[in-house]
Amino acid sequence: MLKIEHLTKHYGTFPALQDLSLEIPERQLHGFLGPNGAGKTTTMRILATLMTPTSGRASVDGVDVVRKPHEARKLIGYMPDFFGTYDNLTCREYLDFYGRCYRIGAKERQRMADQLLELIQLGDKRDTYVDSLSRGMKQRLCLARSLIHDPKLLILDEPASGMDPRARADMKGILRTLREMGKTVLISSHILPEMSELVDSLTILNRGRLVLSEDVKSLAARMSGNAPLEIRLAEGCGEEAVDAVVVCLKELPGVAEILQPEPYLLQVRLEGGDEQCMQMLREMTARGLPVTDFHRIPMNLEQVFMEVTQDE
Amino acid sequence: MSNPILAFSATRRMRSFRTILTVTAYAGMLLLIAILMLKGMFGTSVTIQSMQQGVRCYLILTAAQFGLLVLIGPAMTSGAIAGERERQTLELLLVTNTRSFRIASGKMLESYAMLALLIVSGMPAMCLTVVVGGVSFSQVLVSMLFLLAVAFGTVCVGVFASACCRTSVRSGVMSYRIIALIAVITALPFIFGYPRNITDVVYDSQQYAALTKDGALKMIHPLLYCNPGFGLVALLQDQTSLLSGGSLENIPGFGTATMVQRTQYQQWGRLLCTYLMMDRAGGQSIALISSGAIAVAGSVLMGIATFLIRPRRKRVIGD
Repeated sequence: MLKIEHLTKHYGTFPALQDLSLEIPERQLHGFLGPNGAGKTTTMRILATLMTPTSGRASVDGVDVVRKPHEARKLIGYMPDFFGTYDNLTCREYLDFYGRCYRIGAKERQRMADQLLELIQLGDKRDTYVDSLSRGMKQRLCLARSLIHDPKLLILDEPASGMDPRARADMKGILRTLREMGKTVLISSHILPEMSELVDSLTILNRGRLVLSEDVKSLAARMSGNAPLEIRLAEGCGEEAVDAVVVCLKELPGVAEILQPEPYLLQVRLEGGDEQCMQMLREMTARGLPVTDFHRIPMNLEQVFMEVTQDE
Repeated sequence: MSNPILAFSATRRMRSFRTILTVTAYAGMLLLIAILMLKGMFGTSVTIQSMQQGVRCYLILTAAQFGLLVLIGPAMTSGAIAGERERQTLELLLVTNTRSFRIASGKMLESYAMLALLIVSGMPAMCLTVVVGGVSFSQVLVSMLFLLAVAFGTVCVGVFASACCRTSVRSGVMSYRIIALIAVITALPFIFGYPRNITDVVYDSQQYAALTKDGALKMIHPLLYCNPGFGLVALLQDQTSLLSGGSLENIPGFGTATMVQRTQYQQWGRLLCTYLMMDRAGGQSIALISSGAIAVAGSVLMGIATFLIRPRRKRVIGD
């Protein structure tokens, strides 16, 4: 659906985006992450035809966004990280106006506006003035605006920023519905835990360069293989028992590091796969050590993010 | 309306309480002037005095409308594009399939329609002068058409400034500066004289007598046609003999001289030469050319404004 090839953008001599290549298949929620100044918004603005790249190309469903911006705009719905709403206008009129800008016929506009207002759970607010809506509602209305011409690709720049947890949950639900409807969504956000729950694949940019682009499932599998083990010991088992566990662990092959963040909690970094892990569990059980919990620390997108953006 | 920007902006403007207030204040002020000037003349027969007062009232109302349009026009259009930038909605429009020309023209037409509404709302006051006498309805209509042309010019200046600036306040200031600049530049022929030797023609009685209407039109400096104030004076002179009918006769030393002799007074020479050319050429023709010049200049400004708001020019660093 979306193909980016060697996309580069320089502002004067400052490289905002360097040689970005990326491909996003249809019907995917793709996360776009990166620290401030990484080039996410620049990429999104190029894709939204608001800016031309210094070099490289990008196409949506085979249509080049640089050479054929007018055709590309029919395929793209863009929601920036600000509301962009008007006063003195009701929700339905707001959507109707943008529908007219896309030259959609009156009946079709009305049908789309009604459907979208239901989708974003603002069906009962259709005749309410936009400026009287809450922040979360305005954000959802802006999402509906970007959908009024039924685009194939949605580009959402920080769609949940500034929302309360309830509004964010609503937004997540709407995005899942959009995926079920067959839309491809490129979404940037700083709320990493929610992104990891929501997206199918993700790309991390840092200083204008791509540092990671991967399917979330494969990333999770890869990361969990290297994740540290957490061993919880029985409360009040005594220092001697804890020392015995540490001695036991040190004797085992593949143990690279042992940390003790709490008196009865150990974190072990293991150089090796599941075999070493199984051996460790067998050994501790055989020695009768007071282990109450033994598990790998689950993958955390925030840790991945910090790790891949740290080296740059 | 095929232009969504026009329809939408008009809807929003007409829902605003400020619009109701503006139209009421504009029409009310003109009516008040008319009523104060013409009180006691209604319900009586038309006399020379009432006709003279009607003409005076007509002059004041037309000049007041001209001044108000020049003042209100930029204020009304300063937010046309800059306001969209302030609300961050311009980009949302640009990512739709609405071309920048449609955005600029929609905004311009909407503001122009508002000014046209103001001009029309001033019509009752203007028509009171017709009732009293001294001014015909066709003259009122012609002056309204000229005011519509002036309104077009001010709106185009406003949209141009709005396309150049990021905020409405800056855009408003820039509009007034541009209008002041236009007024000064187009008045330069009065200060620095004519490249064409107008005085030679006026001083030579044979040449002056043989001067045709077209010839007189060509003698007037082209820059003057671009000055809406000059167009208005020419039109009012044509309709009411504004200048030759009164005030100049009272200037010391001028009373007994002929109009051609007066041009020899150094300080008034160029002005009076222009007046003579204006008189020979006909005020309506000058106003028509002036309207055309305003329309052309306005269109050029609109073209530049369209260029300025097109997408893919803005640069935003990083996030």
